Amino acid sequence: MYGWIWRHLPGPLYLRIAEAVVLVVGIVALLMFVVFPWAEPLLPFNNVTTE
Amino acid sequence: MPPRPRPVDPPTEVIPRVEDDYDDYDDEYYDDEPAKDELPPESFGRKAVRGFGEALITMGLVVLLFVVYEVYVTDLLSAGKQEDATAALDSEWSSNVVTPPPADPNRQSKLNLIEGKAFAKMYIPVFGNDWKFSVVEGTTDKHLEIGPGHYKDTAQPGEAGNFSIAGHRVGKGAPFNDLDLLESCNSIVVQTQTQWFVYRVLPMSSEVSGWASNPKSKQAACAGVAPLSTTLGDAYAKTVGQEIVAPTQGEVIAPIPHQVGATVPADKQARLLTLTTCHPRFSDKQRLIVHAIETKSYPVADGFVPPEMTEA
Repeated sequence: MYGWIWRHLPGPLYLRIAEAVVLVVGIVALLMFVVFPWAEPLLPFNNVTTE
Repeated sequence: MPPRPRPVDPPTEVIPRVEDDYDDYDDEYYDDEPAKDELPPESFGRKAVRGFGEALITMGLVVLLFVVYEVYVTDLLSAGKQEDATAALDSEWSSNVVTPPPADPNRQSKLNLIEGKAFAKMYIPVFGNDWKFSVVEGTTDKHLEIGPGHYKDTAQPGEAGNFSIAGHRVGKGAPFNDLDLLESCNSIVVQTQTQWFVYRVLPMSSEVSGWASNPKSKQAACAGVAPLSTTLGDAYAKTVGQEIVAPTQGEVIAPIPHQVGATVPADKQARLLTLTTCHPRFSDKQRLIVHAIETKSYPVADGFVPPEMTEA
C-alpha cells in the first residue's frame, strides 16, 4: 500500500517527499477534526453523568 | 672463539595463489540476487501478506493517534471554549448592575440559567490556585466540552437541595481528573455574580462512625462538616463524602441523595453540592460521586477573597 502510493507520486524525489508529507498531514487532520469527534461519543469511556 | 654457525633457514614453501573465483561459483544464493534496477516478480501471496501487515500497522497508528486526540487535543479544544465562556461571564458580571445581596446571605434571587452559558466559577483550593473553571448550564456532551456542567433542574448554588455538577475526568480539560483525591473537609468554592459559597466535602463512609474522635472534627475550618445522619437524620444516612455508583443511579443528584420519592420541604433540606465524573479513569463503567455541604457564604465585594481560597 505505502509502496504503491510512493510509486504513484509524480515528480522528482524532493517533490515526492513534500507530497507525502502533505498526504500524512491531511489524513491526520481528517482523523482529528472529523473522524475522532464523530467516533468519540460512541465509545464507552467518557460518560460522566448519571442517568 | 669461533663464530657460532648461523641457523639454517628452512626452505621456502611455495603456496599457490588463491584465485578469486566468485564469478565462477555456481551458487544459488548469489544467483538469486536480483539485478539492482528491477524488482522481483511479485506473487499474489506476497502482495496479500504485505498488504495485511501494512493495514495492521496503519490501524495501530490510528489507535495511537486517537489516544493523543483524546488526552491532549481535546484539552486544547476545550481550553479555548472554557476561555470564551469565562470571558463572556466576566463581561456579563462587569456590565450588569450588581444588586446587593439580600440581608440573609443564604437567600438570593434565582439566577437566570441559560443552557451552554457559564453562570458561576468554581475553585478547589487543594488542587492549587490555578484550578478554576466556569460552570455552564447543562450536561450534554456539547456543554461538558466547555467545562463542568450543572445538571438542569437541580438546585442552584447556595439553594437548599443538591447543586449538582458533572465534569470530564479524561481529556476536554479534565476538570474532575483528581476528584478521587478529595478528602473530607476539603473546600470547594463556588462564586456567582453576587456571592461566594464555600462547600466542604462530607465525611467519608469510613469516617462516619468515628467522626467525633477524628481530629478534623475539632478544626475550626471544618465546622459544619459532620456525618449528615447525625445532624439531619436518617434520610441523609447514605450521603457521605465519596461514593462509587452505577451509571444508572441518578438518585445521587436528588435533592436528598438516594431519596427520590421523599418529599421534604425545602427549608428542611441541606444545601448540598454533588460532583459526578466517570470511574475508573478511562472507563465509564461506574460513576465517582463527591458530596459536599455548604458551610459558609460571603457577599462578593471588590478585592475580597474568601479565606478558604488560600487553603492548600
